[in-house]
Amino acid sequence: MIRIHAAGGRATIQDAGRFGHLREGLPPSGPADPSAFFAAQWLVGNDGSAAAIEVVGSPFVFSCEDRRLIAVTGREVALRSRDRLPGWTAAFVRPDEEITVIASERTRFAYVAVSGGIATEPVLGSRATYLPAGLGHLVRTGDSWPLGPARVDPTGAGRTAKAPEYQDEFVRAITGPHVERFTDQEAEGFFSSQFIVDAMSDRMATRLLGNLVRSRGGEILTCGVIAGAVQVPSGGQPIILLAEHQVTGGYPVIATVITADLGRVAQRLPGEPLRFARVERDRATDALRGERMTSGPSA
Amino acid sequence: MNAKLVERCRALAEAWEDLGHGPAVPAYASVLVRFDPRRLDPLEAERGVSDALARSTEIEPTNPRTVEIPTRYDGPDLAETASASGVDTKTLVRLHSERDYVAFFLGFLPGFAYCGTLDARIVAPRLARPHERVPAGSVAVADGQTGVYPFDSPGGWRILGSTDLVMFDAAREPPALIRPGDRVRFVPQ
Repeated sequence: MIRIHAAGGRATIQDAGRFGHLREGLPPSGPADPSAFFAAQWLVGNDGSAAAIEVVGSPFVFSCEDRRLIAVTGREVALRSRDRLPGWTAAFVRPDEEITVIASERTRFAYVAVSGGIATEPVLGSRATYLPAGLGHLVRTGDSWPLGPARVDPTGAGRTAKAPEYQDEFVRAITGPHVERFTDQEAEGFFSSQFIVDAMSDRMATRLLGNLVRSRGGEILTCGVIAGAVQVPSGGQPIILLAEHQVTGGYPVIATVITADLGRVAQRLPGEPLRFARVERDRATDALRGERMTSGPSA
Repeated sequence: MNAKLVERCRALAEAWEDLGHGPAVPAYASVLVRFDPRRLDPLEAERGVSDALARSTEIEPTNPRTVEIPTRYDGPDLAETASASGVDTKTLVRLHSERDYVAFFLGFLPGFAYCGTLDARIVAPRLARPHERVPAGSVAVADGQTGVYPFDSPGGWRILGSTDLVMFDAAREPPALIRPGDRVRFVPQ
């Protein structure tokens, strides 16, 4: 069992995402920052299908009933037990030892992974939380959640993973799929503009302020969309879809942020700048190979 | 909106999923196919789509079910939509409820089926300023399409009425009340 002594602002159980019911209109959900989520799972020796806790806000304090390997990842995170420990590092915890996630004012999403994974009952093939349809779970103060079986491997402690460059305002994106809905000039403008992250950003999408992007021909016939799609509504303010996105959309998509950079989009704070760096498809795949993502969100 | 093309999209989505590389999302005139480019080269994926497209033409459409939606025509946009369409509300209700619709595909929200097509006399462009909160069960129309909001949500469609049916229930198998390809009929209450 993992016991939650303080649940932060809003914590949920997430696995890689629920990709088996997209055709019923069910958003994949899963981690807003997949890079941090998969790194945390890798650090504690779980495979990518295990569930972890996504934490928004502080303080988040927990303990485990038995000896476990744990890791905390996300933007500017650390943890404290007897000592302060860095984030993105696997650590052993003794039974009932209290661990506090230390977040900075720049942390949007933190991930707490425990060896064995959070062993809630999967619903529709996944443990990912999507509250509008009552799927998955909010994690509340006082909760206890079951953990999966884990063999404690003492050599795992101290293992580290490299955090993405969260301060970097550039995110990589391939053009399209609806680039023909934009003049060359608009597309160039899009890739050379500095946008600002809007306060109305959440697990569904990061909304951008700044130069307006003009599409031609209005809305498109509703079609399937993915996390990373940069939609341009008629108002001209781009929206980058994230984990909890709707599975279809009717706005033209000028560019698609590569999967390896989705976490850096999700972790940008309201008011922070964001720019798009154009890359080719091959670079997107190469970048993904460098990630710890062992399943989803691509599959 | 072309029912034959939608069926073709659905068949392609099924053929893609049969290949086992990942899920697909069909819509009006497009199919989104998902795969892991580390396991399947994108060029191979493109070939897979071409093959699936060739094979998918052989899929026979199955016998459609008919789903009846008991509907109270009490929506906030009923009168305005009737007046924009140049008919009285009674006529609008008749135009909306007297035909069987095809459920083209699901999207937007879990269990939300894009159904069509509306009688051409119903004039219902999307709202310029979307409703902040459309209640679950709202029966709405927009641009030749009709559907039922499964959950409370912001929405830009015009609300003609409401139903008590639960459109999506994770504990049900399958969870969505309406499935792609179903016939859908609104029954005035």
